[in-house]
Parts: sequence; structure tokens; C-alpha cells
Amino acid sequence: MSGCAVRVDGVRFAYGAAEALRGVSLAIDAGEQVALVGPNGAGKTTLTRLLVALRRPASGRVTVGDWDVATRRPDEMARRVGYAFQHADQQLFARSVREDVAFGPRRLGRSTAGVEAVLEELGLAAVAGLHPYDVPPPARKLVALAGILAMEPGVLVLDEPTAGLDGAQRDRVVAAVRRRAAAGVTVIAVSHDLAFVAEAGDRVVAMREGRIVQDRPARELMYDREALTTLGLKPPATVEVSDALGLRGRPVRAEEVVEAMRGIRWRRETSE
Amino acid sequence: MTALVTLEHVRFTYSGASRPALDGVSLTIAPGEVLAVAGATGAGASTLLLVATGYAPRVVGGTLTGVRAITARRCGVVFSRPWTQLTGLCSTVREEVAFGAASYGLPPGEVADAAARAMAALGIARLADRDPARLSGGELQRVVVAATLAMGPDMLALDDPAAELDPEAADALYAVLPDIAGAGTGVLLATPDLDRAARVATRVVRLEHGRVVADGTPPRGLEETTVAVIARAAGCPAPYPTDVAALRARVAR
Repeated sequence: MSGCAVRVDGVRFAYGAAEALRGVSLAIDAGEQVALVGPNGAGKTTLTRLLVALRRPASGRVTVGDWDVATRRPDEMARRVGYAFQHADQQLFARSVREDVAFGPRRLGRSTAGVEAVLEELGLAAVAGLHPYDVPPPARKLVALAGILAMEPGVLVLDEPTAGLDGAQRDRVVAAVRRRAAAGVTVIAVSHDLAFVAEAGDRVVAMREGRIVQDRPARELMYDREALTTLGLKPPATVEVSDALGLRGRPVRAEEVVEAMRGIRWRRETSE
Repeated sequence: MTALVTLEHVRFTYSGASRPALDGVSLTIAPGEVLAVAGATGAGASTLLLVATGYAPRVVGGTLTGVRAITARRCGVVFSRPWTQLTGLCSTVREEVAFGAASYGLPPGEVADAAARAMAALGIARLADRDPARLSGGELQRVVVAATLAMGPDMLALDDPAAELDPEAADALYAVLPDIAGAGTGVLLATPDLDRAARVATRVVRLEHGRVVADGTPPRGLEETTVAVIARAAGCPAPYPTDVAALRARVAR
């Protein structure tokens, strides 16, 4: 499915007396890959929950494609927006990994032909017959993500998709996100993990205390140490390497850094 | 120095599992070290923590064979999700941090002192009068570590303690680990985050499929940090530098 544009206009939201969103406006084009960053409690997760009608704004407007979210129920929103929660246990319930992943497309009345491919893509084929709670917690997170990908949504919302994952699992998530992005899917990822953002995001929207405080191309922000420090962030290791070696072209992804390091002459290790 | 925990050829299998989670693990954990246990999901790092602290099989069940000697008097364990470790009974951080120590029946003055020292060590003295239920994840995790420290463990095991934290909070939490170890406590840290572990570990054990595949002093055991992986891909000859400063030193100008 091709991507949808997402618009958030002047949105405010409060949990009781605690204001979580204090007037947020954001326009995301179809097919963009946007990372939402910022400290715990900045309002990132709240904002994404408005996109799937799990929360309703106190004021302001949210649209996904030509749908006004205010007029839609969460189950309708699921046709357009796939939402992977930070804690996978919130969205797993079937008796096997395979059934869990197939539940979404089945519920939407769609074919489950893509389920095996998604299981394979996220490295879950070997555990497809197990109960979701019999696989380790990080793998459960991939099961939940697979369930979302199997629905082929036009907008993918990922809340801390790499938290707790090991290196190989992270690589699979990065590859899966890049594949969806290449197919035109809009990706919105809430993430503390700037290394993931560097690999899978084009644009970074930073929030603090319920407001958007930065909205910039990822490549630009990653090299702006002052802005990162203000946000309580450090550049990812790839950018640290690039800075230390004075690489050209502002590489942020690992393969870009390796490419920019071509021609370097190495010293042998002398002291061990 | 006497080891806090000694494992020899330890094999541990969870009830109902077809394969052991730890398979022939031998290692010691000493006072004052920050031992990082790294490995992919399912490699056995979390299980190693449970076995080394005595929680497995006593609490979680399963079967253990081989030799395990735990000479540590008290082992504190901190998990990834701090809200699962709150008492739910305390209305201030001060009470929460003191709760475990008080449950040992120590005199109130000693309990208060232990709690104050632990809060200072974690940099959360300013939170003492706050309601634990209203803290951020990063603050809460430091409260949990402080509460564990206040009980006076000589070994502190942490299972991916920054999994739920933002980068600033994660850095702050990792930064206190060398100080805790410096006071003589053995710190056992299971983590998938080798880049952060590289900054604090005095020793690194790598596990694969329940077996120890590397056990050494950094840079040994850190061959998979982001910098090391980039250096290898860019053609740097082994041994690969594991941090930016080491990488820079290897480039011929």
C-alpha cells in the first residue's frame, strides 16, 4: 500500500491536569521517514497515539490521508496506520507466533499470503509455531512488528522499535523499515536510539515538554552538536567516527561512513 | 581477592526447555569489577545473572548441574523495567529507597543513613520527597538501583538496566557503575549495548548459545562495538579499535 500524508494542527492534550501536548503542529508527507526524539515525558508517544485514535485531542485536528481522525474509530484507523507499541506484550494474544502475525490481515479481510514472508524477513520463521510468550521478550517485539507489517499499512508508527534488541535484530528492523520506505510507506518512529534514527530516518522532529523544539533533516541535526546537547542527545557512533576522522559529505549511516573512509591508510597496532 | 561467585562447568536448563540456556559456563565474579555480559538475545546473559545471583533455579525453577559457589552475602538484582520493582507501598522516594534495608530489621538510624548514602551515590537526593509513581523512567530506575544498594549487597546484578531509558538517563546510570564497583561491590551487567558497556566495563564476557566465547579485559570482548565493526569494514587490520580515540590513533596521516 502506498503511503499517506499525516497532518497534525494545533493539537493539545492533557492527562488530567498534566499537559502532555501544548499546541503541536506537524506536516508529514506521504513516504517520509520521521523520527520523533526527546526525553522521557516529552509527549512523543502521546502524539503518536492521536494518529490512531487511541487518544483524542482536547483541541486541534489530526488527519491521515483524507481521513479526519476525529471521525474514525481505532479499528478503522488500523486499516491505514500500523502501530507497534513499545511493549509488545500489549499486542500479542494468539496461540502461535504465526497466528498472531496472521490475525491483522485476517481481521481486515485481507489475504494472509504475505505472512510467511514477513516472518522470514524478521527472522521468526524458526519460531513461527511457538506460543508468542515462549519466545524471549525481544523476539516478541519482532512478532508484534511482524503483525503490523503483515497488514501492509500506508503509515507505520513504531514506538521504540529497537529497545532491548540485539545487533542482528536491530539490523532486521532497519532493513524492514528501509524496504517499506522504499515502497512509499510513511514511517514515524519514536526512538531514543539515534543510531537507529541515523540508519532509518530522514527527518528528525524533537519534542520537549509537549512542544516541538526542532524539526530538521537527520543528516543536518546529527552534525549539530550544540542542538543535540540541548536535546540531551549525543551523535551516534557513526557520526563520532566521521567527526574524528574529518570525513567528507556528512555520512550518518554505517555504510556511508565506511564508503567515506575509502583510501585511509592504516597503522598496524604497535602496543598491545 | 576472594571471588563473590564461582561457576564451574555450569549447565542450566529451564523447565520444559529442550536445550540448556547455559551450557558449560565457567567464570568467577570478583569484588570491585564491572563485568559486562554481552551476547545476542537468547545467548544466556539474563540467565547467567539469575544463576549467579542464586535466583535460578531457586526462584524460577529449572535444573542446574556443575559447580556453583556463591560466597557473596547479598546479591541485588535490577531488571529492565523499574516500575516492576517498586514496592507500591511508599509515597516518597526516601521511603522507597529505605524499604528493603528496613525490612532487614536494622536500627532506623542505620536505615536512614544507608538510604541517604545510596541516594547520594545515584544522584537522586533531590528527589527524596517526590512520589515514586510520578517520576520519569530514568529517575525511577535510579531509585530502584539506590533501593538495592541501600540493602548493602556485595554483588549488584543489572539486566539491561537502560532498556527503557532515554540516552541521557542511560548514560547517567552507566556512569555510576564504576563508583559502585569502586566501593568494593561486584557489578554484573548484562547488556546488548556494547558501545555503552565499553565505557564502564573492567571485564567483558561474551556468550553465544549459552557458552562463553570470550572472557577478557577490554578491548578484548569488544570486537562488536559500532566503531570496531566500522573499522573492520573499512579495512583496518586487526586488532580492531573499539572506540573513536583508538580508531583515530590507527589512521596514518
